[in-house]
Amino acid sequence: MKKSILNKIFLISVPLIAVILVICLVIIPKIKSGDNDVENKTETDSGHKIEKMSTNDDSVRSAVDFDHELSKYQPKKDHYNFYFTYKTVHAWWDAVALGMEDAQRQFLDNGIVITYEYVAPNGASAADQIERLNKAVQGNYDVIGVDVADEELISPVINDMIDSGVKVMTFSSSDASADCKRIAYVGNTHNYEDGASLTEELCKKLDYKGKVAILVGSAGAPCHEDRARGARDTLEKYDNMSIVAVEYDMDSVDLAYDLTKKILADTPDLDGIICCNMSNPVGAARAIIEKNSKAVIVGMDHDKEALQYLKDGVIYCLGVQDCYSMGFDTIQVAVMIADGVYPGSLYPEKSEMMTTLIFQQDAGAMLETLYGDISR
Amino acid sequence: MKIKRVTNKTFVLTAAIGSILIMLMVTVNNIWSVQRTQTATNNAVSAVSSFYLEAMADRRAKTITNLISNNFSQMEKALTVFSDEGIENQDQLREMIGTIKYLLSLNRLALVDEDDIVYTQYTTYTGGSRYDFLSEAKLKDRVISTVFLYGSSTQLCLVIPADGLTMMGKSFKACFVQIDVGDIVKLLAFEEQGRTDFAIYSKNGENLSDTKLGSIILEQNILDVTSKVLSDEEWDELQKNFEKEEAGNLTFKQNDTEETLYYVPIPGTGWQMVVLISESIIHEQIRGVSEQNLSFSIRQIAFTVIVLIVFAAILLLMLRRISSVQLQAEKENSRNFMSMANTDSLTGLRNKHAFSEYETSLDKSIRDKAIENVAVVVCDINGLKHVNDTLGHAAGDKLIKDASVMLCEYFSHGAVFRTGGDEFVIVLKGKGFDTRDEVMDEFNRKVESNISTGDVVVSIGCSTLTEGDEQLNDIFKRADKRMYERKKELKAMGAITRDT
Repeated sequence: MKKSILNKIFLISVPLIAVILVICLVIIPKIKSGDNDVENKTETDSGHKIEKMSTNDDSVRSAVDFDHELSKYQPKKDHYNFYFTYKTVHAWWDAVALGMEDAQRQFLDNGIVITYEYVAPNGASAADQIERLNKAVQGNYDVIGVDVADEELISPVINDMIDSGVKVMTFSSSDASADCKRIAYVGNTHNYEDGASLTEELCKKLDYKGKVAILVGSAGAPCHEDRARGARDTLEKYDNMSIVAVEYDMDSVDLAYDLTKKILADTPDLDGIICCNMSNPVGAARAIIEKNSKAVIVGMDHDKEALQYLKDGVIYCLGVQDCYSMGFDTIQVAVMIADGVYPGSLYPEKSEMMTTLIFQQDAGAMLETLYGDISR
Repeated sequence: MKIKRVTNKTFVLTAAIGSILIMLMVTVNNIWSVQRTQTATNNAVSAVSSFYLEAMADRRAKTITNLISNNFSQMEKALTVFSDEGIENQDQLREMIGTIKYLLSLNRLALVDEDDIVYTQYTTYTGGSRYDFLSEAKLKDRVISTVFLYGSSTQLCLVIPADGLTMMGKSFKACFVQIDVGDIVKLLAFEEQGRTDFAIYSKNGENLSDTKLGSIILEQNILDVTSKVLSDEEWDELQKNFEKEEAGNLTFKQNDTEETLYYVPIPGTGWQMVVLISESIIHEQIRGVSEQNLSFSIRQIAFTVIVLIVFAAILLLMLRRISSVQLQAEKENSRNFMSMANTDSLTGLRNKHAFSEYETSLDKSIRDKAIENVAVVVCDINGLKHVNDTLGHAAGDKLIKDASVMLCEYFSHGAVFRTGGDEFVIVLKGKGFDTRDEVMDEFNRKVESNISTGDVVVSIGCSTLTEGDEQLNDIFKRADKRMYERKKELKAMGAITRDT
């Protein structure tokens, strides 16, 4: 009798204990695994989000090459001293300067000290440039570099310097005249083509009919004059395209602004403006906005404000030059010239630098590439 | 009042149910504790993470502030050196800049003359278009300027006026150092060893440090991104705080990803130091602790359950054992009571009660004809009364014991009963039945010899089952009669009798 009671209790207890064990071992881990599910989902979602938000535009980013390495050339000295002068104080030449500084740092890392001056007047002036060059000749420089302010006036000065044994090169935006004795040129060699290409884009946008104005830049500056010439020649190809004004803003944004307002006052139905330097697209865009004009702007270079106007659709097209590479290669070529290595297998007499035409859809990537943040 | 009796069954049931209830309580309590701990931890995390982020942001901002302060202090010293050295040409100036840079650990130290020509250790360049802080003809005070260089490089420029400094026939207007924000980021990342995301932002929300902030903002403009995930009110507050250079914090969520950030202005720079921690990272840290607690709780529950099971099993086994012992004891008692009821206390032989039960059993066999050979020997001690009267009851008792011993000795194959004071009955079956005559002869001879020696004299009469007998008593009566006849014979031989 008593045995049977105990057996019954055992029979009841065992399943109950089993149920409790199941609660302990199954339900509690489930609570835990439920938490994990939520977190995994979060990780998956965030991972997916990161992938969706990443963007890339290699074609635009390759317009300017910031990744340079020195050539295999072994300099003959451990210290070089250069003098560079350019047209005017302007952000465009600051971009060139950054490429030069990169090269200088890389030479320094290799034990080669390079010192240089990189100076310009506040306004483009051939007379000022001649004065600077004459002073530089007196200095102890291995090479003197010139961004020619006016090829007619500066080229003879360069020839005299060469004749007196000074090593002179030209760089960045403007070369000297064809008969100049300068040793080499590192910079834009296709300014005419740049002007022509920009104008071709403008004509196409205007369906090959309309009135356009040209803002040249500094009078006598080869790069600006060449671009303006390319623009004129392109416009002449089309019967329905006409030039209503050609103005020189002397690399001044304010002057470009004033000149554009004047052109718009004279020709309210202006259809387009061709800007041949870095300053005038900005001045032209400001005036166009102010006057609520429908004129289409094409222009040069990478001014941040100009890029923002491109992004906003005020400017139609910009030609961006690889200033960084110009500066980097200028220092490399200057070292070789200083060593008595002249153009040939190691470097050409005129280097080929790229210009990239960019449009509204490219502006964001270009702003990010050059200035880091498109919001500024 | 009626008191309910607590039985073993009740006790065991109570113990079992109690154990189960305790186990259930422990289990439920642990589950509840875990859930409550998780909730409490989550709440605590929000508070702690804000505090943690604030401390992180403050420390990083302080690092930059100290960096700025140290650089300013070193530049002041540098200016003193330049004034005292009497530098006459550019080469001397470059050498001196190099020396001071090295001695005072100043990064990209530069001097600016009145024409905005910048002099560094290796280069001399026109700086008007590169540095906004040179736009004024004369600097009045220290300047902290953020310079955005072509190619995405952002620089922190620290400028001090160089009033009265004249070298190489030129007046100098400023002295400055240029620190790459990337180097500052490396310094901060080294300090914090990458435990949290951080980034430096300008007032308009642009990312100056080019560092990734969480999985939502990434490297983008913080104001642009947060405008899509914050309410208008929250975003307006964030923008105002950035603009007014005030500290604050916020939490935002997108696609199940929740992130908390704290921002603090870096004095003088117009920058905001932002430190962010994502919910997943917080939970990753806490999950470790929770998992440990949970694991501990599970082990605790399992251990408790096992202990309770073992405890219950031990209890039940003990109860079984106790019950078994009790049962055994009761059986023993029962046997003892039974034995006491059927045993003669003086001789140890079975008594009259036992004989009655035995007789009942044999009667049934006789009636059923289940037995054929059975004999009954009726015995009576001679002279017991005489001994009692003359020698006392102790001698009488001895006589009874001696008689019983003698009977048991001779009738070893029979069932011997003491049915009265001096009366015995022996039932013979099997071998006892077969050898009855020889045994009786031997016994009688012994008795007869005892008469002369004064030892025990017992009169016996025997009878067997015969045709017509219906019960044992029929045999008993015949045996009893013969016993009296034998008693007479023994009296004649000189044996003491009742009448003696």
